[in-house]
Amino acid sequence: MKRIITPLIALASIALLLAGCSSPSPTSSAPVSGGTLVYATGDAEPTCLDPHVGGNYPQALVATQYLESLVSKNKAGDIIPWLATKWSESKNGLSWDFTLRSDVKFTDGTPLTPDAVAVNIAHLQDPATGSSTGYLALAKVTGVTSVDAHTARITLSAPDSALLDSLSQPWLAIESPTALKRSQDVNCQSPVGTGPFVVKKWVRQQSITLVRNNGYNSPPADAAHRGKAYLASIEWRFLPDSASRYAALQAGTVDVIDNVQPDTIVAAKGSKNIVHIDAPRPGASNRIELNSSIAPFDDQRVREAFIRSADVNSAITSLFFGTAKRSYSALSSIEALGVSDPTLFGYDQKAAAKLLDAAGWTQRDASGYRVKDGKRLELEFPVSTNQSIPAEQSLFEQLQATTKEAGFKVNLHPLDLSSWYAALGKNQYNLVSAPYTKVGPDVLRILFDSEGTKPAPSGYFANHAQVKDPALDTLLVTASEVSDPAERASLYKQAQDIVLSGYYILPLYDQQNHYLLRSAVKGLRALPSVSTPTLYDTWLQR
Amino acid sequence: MRRFRPVEVFAIVVIALLVIAAVVPGALAPGDPLAIHPLESFRPPSFAHLFGTDESGRDIYTRIVHGTGASLLIGLTATAIGVGLALVFGLLAGLGPRWLDFGTTRFLEVLFAFPGLLLALLFIVIYGPGVVTSTIAVGLATAPGYARIIRSQVLVVRRAPYLEAATVLGRSRTSRIIHHLLPNVSGSLFVLVTLGIGQSIVWASSLSYLGLGAVPPAAEWGAMLSAGRTYITSFWWMTFFPGLFIVLSAVVATMLGRSLQQRLRSS
Repeated sequence: MKRIITPLIALASIALLLAGCSSPSPTSSAPVSGGTLVYATGDAEPTCLDPHVGGNYPQALVATQYLESLVSKNKAGDIIPWLATKWSESKNGLSWDFTLRSDVKFTDGTPLTPDAVAVNIAHLQDPATGSSTGYLALAKVTGVTSVDAHTARITLSAPDSALLDSLSQPWLAIESPTALKRSQDVNCQSPVGTGPFVVKKWVRQQSITLVRNNGYNSPPADAAHRGKAYLASIEWRFLPDSASRYAALQAGTVDVIDNVQPDTIVAAKGSKNIVHIDAPRPGASNRIELNSSIAPFDDQRVREAFIRSADVNSAITSLFFGTAKRSYSALSSIEALGVSDPTLFGYDQKAAAKLLDAAGWTQRDASGYRVKDGKRLELEFPVSTNQSIPAEQSLFEQLQATTKEAGFKVNLHPLDLSSWYAALGKNQYNLVSAPYTKVGPDVLRILFDSEGTKPAPSGYFANHAQVKDPALDTLLVTASEVSDPAERASLYKQAQDIVLSGYYILPLYDQQNHYLLRSAVKGLRALPSVSTPTLYDTWLQR
Repeated sequence: MRRFRPVEVFAIVVIALLVIAAVVPGALAPGDPLAIHPLESFRPPSFAHLFGTDESGRDIYTRIVHGTGASLLIGLTATAIGVGLALVFGLLAGLGPRWLDFGTTRFLEVLFAFPGLLLALLFIVIYGPGVVTSTIAVGLATAPGYARIIRSQVLVVRRAPYLEAATVLGRSRTSRIIHHLLPNVSGSLFVLVTLGIGQSIVWASSLSYLGLGAVPPAAEWGAMLSAGRTYITSFWWMTFFPGLFIVLSAVVATMLGRSLQQRLRSS
């Protein structure tokens, strides 16, 4: 027996060697068409795939693959053509003309026309749609008319310097008017756009299957190629657990992951098979908002005391391994008009204690918490576990510990997304951290104008700090109307000074947005508009 | 009385330590389990930090010792609730008229159809997360199992000659239950309870692990395990030690239950 086996092994080894020699691994850098990319997202699963409805980041992430907007933004921050090739503002600023591409069809065959734009704007403004992000962005739009077969005119109640920024966002994407006629349930399941991919199947709690749109011809002006996408399909998988997400990437069962934990980013930097993309989101910085409409934060001294007693810097150092930079601004670091003021947010327990004494919180109970008129200095902090990565939840725990020294009792309530919305709706929170992504500084109007304390049709309101300051309102409204860049910058600066020095927010860092991909995934980039990944130029190296 | 075997000695020593940790945690770990030291986060085990530190620089050894009380108390209370309910159902079924036995048994069978943890989750969904609700939930979920065993024990004891004698001697029903029935059922029940505590600790930890039990920053083993899970690839000690203690406490409770069982059988 042994005599037969040995030569067999020898033969087999030779065969293997030859096989190894005859198939050298391909290393060409020309894009290859075909294949399925598996994208594992850690964001919450959308309840509706049409980003007109509600309008949050998880929707934007996936909708970027199948819906397109009128305009886009390039890396330099300039507005560039997408579904619209040209646009112009009227002299008085009360109307805008958009020239649409004439050769674009939605994936259900409906052509892109000015009427389609009108139907989409009306859909966003219809209270029955339940839009919040798109609805708020279109507050000044009074209607859409068609000038000719390829020109849509958007009319406004007041000049809107943020209109182009707003229209570049996925939440204001243009969908097929034929498809929008279907019931909302159906449209949520399978929205129809002009994008490079088409929604084929959505298995809830599991994944969305997207297939290539073979008739695609409308990439944004800064795309790397023309024509249809390289990938044949995308499997958009929901993998909420961050450790399993990274393990799946390492094992090669998924190709791209998002919502990456800081320690994972550091670990991935040591691996040559994994590429890291850091694409902070535009709009607001990641911050904790202090609800100024109810006690105890209706007193500015108490707000300042809380902010002074929260040791944010040490928390970031301990939890983020250098992957996040401290922010002292209401706006993202990629917003050119952001004002940053570190002097207002220095960690100082003595100053905090003095402020609390001055505000009348002079006594302390047995556990060291401050008491005034028999009431404990207690703060309710609902935390959305879907929107905060575990490191951020640990950061809140650390702030809970450091503000305790000053005498605050912070009650953290980890909640799922819908319970979290409900908690905000009842106005029984004192602290909250809510991401808000929007292109441009106009996000300040949404977050801090007193109008923002009123709920949008979806029930969501964005002014969680509940700032109601007429002077601030005037600044923000004027800034959104002027077109002179210098004047606009100055108005936004004054507005931010009011917000920062009023201690309505405690800025933490930019809205973190990290992607990790296998090095075989080529050509993936984040769209400069709201930093969602586009898989249009992406291909898989074999 | 037999001599103690080495495993029994081990179990008793560990249980004694756990009880000390639960009652006077400061004696074993004088530090503050909630004190943060952000600049000393993620330190591996060393002489300064026996079990390392967590993401906020809190000492994991201190947190485990201080978390013992919560974890054991949840285990004990949940078992007590489970056994208490089970006694009621078991006695009703075992002693009541036939229709009551039939009704109770069918009801228990319906509860059996649900996996225990699912029953606990259902309860938490209705009454909201927290230590109290998760304790009651685990108690409720374990009750059907105990109730069925108690019923069968009652049926056996009920036909024993000494109970018939007590009936003939004219003892009241209550007196028969308290003086004859319960003591004879309690032997095997005690074993069950000891075995059940281990199971309850694991269940309560599971609920905390899912974010349905203890709320932050409380030191509770399941919650610590869950917090460490995120970092499992980079910092193993954050999950290893809380996990070790959940396993250890469940194992020693089971070991003790087993040896009690054997002793009762041989005596």
